[in-house]
Amino acid sequence: MSMLRRFMLALSTSLALGAAVPAGAVELAADEIVVGTVSDLSGPIAMLGVPVRDGMLMRFDEANAGGGVHGRRIRLAVEDAGYDPKRAVLAARKLVQHDKAFAFIANMGTPVVMATMPIILDAGRLHLFPFSPHRATYTPLHPLKFQNFAPYYDYMKAATAHLVRARGYARTCLLYQDDDYGLEVMKGVEAALEGLTRELVERTSYKRGATDFSSQIARLRAARCDLVVLATVVRETVAAMAEARKIGWDVDMLVTASGYSAQTHALGGAAVEGLYGVSVLPHPYAEGASVELAAWIERYRARFNAEPNVWSVMGYTLADLFVRTAEATGPALTPAAFARALESMQFTPDIFGSPIYRFSAEDHLGNRHGRLAQIRNGRWVPITDYLD
Amino acid sequence: MRTDPAAAARQAVRAGLPWLLVVLVAVALLGVDYALGKATLVLTYAIAGLGVVVVVGQAGQIALGQAALVALGAYTQAVLVRHGLPAPLAIPAAVLAGALGGVLASLPARRLGGLYFGMSTLAFALIVEEGLARWESVTHGAAGMAVPGFEVFGWRADSTLAQALVSLAALLIALAVCRRLLALHHGRAWRAVRDDEAAAAACGIAPAAVKMQAFLVGGALSGLAGALYAHWIGFISPEQFGLVFSFELLMLAFIGGARRLMGAVWGALVIVAIPPTIALLRDALPGDWARAAGLEMVVFGAVIVAVVLLRPSGLTGRS
Repeated sequence: MSMLRRFMLALSTSLALGAAVPAGAVELAADEIVVGTVSDLSGPIAMLGVPVRDGMLMRFDEANAGGGVHGRRIRLAVEDAGYDPKRAVLAARKLVQHDKAFAFIANMGTPVVMATMPIILDAGRLHLFPFSPHRATYTPLHPLKFQNFAPYYDYMKAATAHLVRARGYARTCLLYQDDDYGLEVMKGVEAALEGLTRELVERTSYKRGATDFSSQIARLRAARCDLVVLATVVRETVAAMAEARKIGWDVDMLVTASGYSAQTHALGGAAVEGLYGVSVLPHPYAEGASVELAAWIERYRARFNAEPNVWSVMGYTLADLFVRTAEATGPALTPAAFARALESMQFTPDIFGSPIYRFSAEDHLGNRHGRLAQIRNGRWVPITDYLD
Repeated sequence: MRTDPAAAARQAVRAGLPWLLVVLVAVALLGVDYALGKATLVLTYAIAGLGVVVVVGQAGQIALGQAALVALGAYTQAVLVRHGLPAPLAIPAAVLAGALGGVLASLPARRLGGLYFGMSTLAFALIVEEGLARWESVTHGAAGMAVPGFEVFGWRADSTLAQALVSLAALLIALAVCRRLLALHHGRAWRAVRDDEAAAAACGIAPAAVKMQAFLVGGALSGLAGALYAHWIGFISPEQFGLVFSFELLMLAFIGGARRLMGAVWGALVIVAIPPTIALLRDALPGDWARAAGLEMVVFGAVIVAVVLLRPSGLTGRS
């Protein structure tokens, strides 16, 4: 028998065996709720993935220390897909079938989210608050999918319009990452300027991972921009601003929430002073924190031996929304009952200064607003309330 | 020459047992759906791996941008299906797109050889990725696009079993075609060029045409894999087909054994299935070890190094 025929025989037998057993349904143990997350702990956005996971772990640990949710402990099952949709598909299937995940929270990266969402929804699991600007995460309306993060389009439109109006900028330009994130920001900025009957004077792009921005900055300077919107992440934000300052160009810049991080001023130092940023959650600074926030920061440090940042707050907040909704749902917890409870919940501002999250039966996007902040004396300072 | 039936049966069991064991362990540990999902991707990657085996293992060319050919197949399939063409009818077009891409990528081989030619395939991959990101009216650019499920006359391959069977059928056809090609003068010409290009030319073989043929076949296989990949993942974007994917395919061929067709299947099993298996074992680790970032990739790297050291000719090659 040839190798090929032997392979066919073995594989066909295995597949036939597989077909005989039905796929798993939503099963909730009497003493445990498994929450799955397909994160990025080793890929290009691991800088977000690790603190988000730690924030969620911290909140679930607190809930478990208090006796769990209606007697059930919450277990966070984390899978690292490294921004790779192939690994993500396998990870989502593992979480559905092997770990019996009741819900998925904070899956990370658009390719990962788009590849795994059908698997999760088809299995009847909740798909909650993914880190992706894609509209498909909340539209069309699906009973089990909810999003908490506004598309970059919405809040960059509001932030750009507000800043251009308030500061009277005449020549707005854009530096953007050449992917879905950058394009989403571009649409928001263009819409804002169109509303003010202005045009985007210049736009230039870069590929993810770029470290040299000299040509882009030179091009923007040649266009005589007076405001540069940055659709960048932390490292690129610092590199772009440092390049501008190096050539003596003191232009104002506005970065999206992806650049709103303590690492931006920690890495950039004096070069990023004055940078405007959009914040959908404030950074947890220990200095000047309220008593409750200071205690939270201490607990985080003790648990993870690291400083919390805005991503830790996001992870903690998302887990908190889950815990509070699960409590409100009651002991008879099912994905459908959880979804109904979430649709009727209103989450008021917390110790971090989060916006109000509100869902309804017709709208599964919990928040559309960001606020403007600016780096002053080496830290982000909010300069507006949440913008409409 | 006659062979002992008992010995042949023992040999068959020895060769088939690992496959059966792998799938049964996956089913037992993870459940049927997961095992079949994993099998689908292994089989799909194996098809793309066959393309690398033909180009690298048989024709002896350095191909560093095979993911670009997979991308051409995936995008052709996605665009045609989104325009209403049934998936089975779109597949020949995806195969053709991959084959044409392969021919294009092979053109520098007329003037370049060795590593220099390898660099040109790398450049080709970068151009394709950039082109897909820029041609927004068709590809939706960097934003990517959703791909409908695989559907044939109202039957939809939406279960993991159905997807695995479609991929298995495609792989078996691909294996059979490749086997036939290797037995014909094409295969002999590829191997002659691989072993000694000057000697092959002296025997009347045109190396440039032979290399182009290998790339055509390799591209067609990559296009087929891309078409299926697009359906199974359901969302494609240019960044998915970057250099990391190309190197994965190259690793796949070398791990499995670049000189044997079955090397692509074994290599795909290692590349696709080992990281999630490591993730399972990781879950059993105590305390903070279980949540150490990137642990799977570190162990995966160690496994690859071990395979290369212990089986330098690949899993299907002679040790």
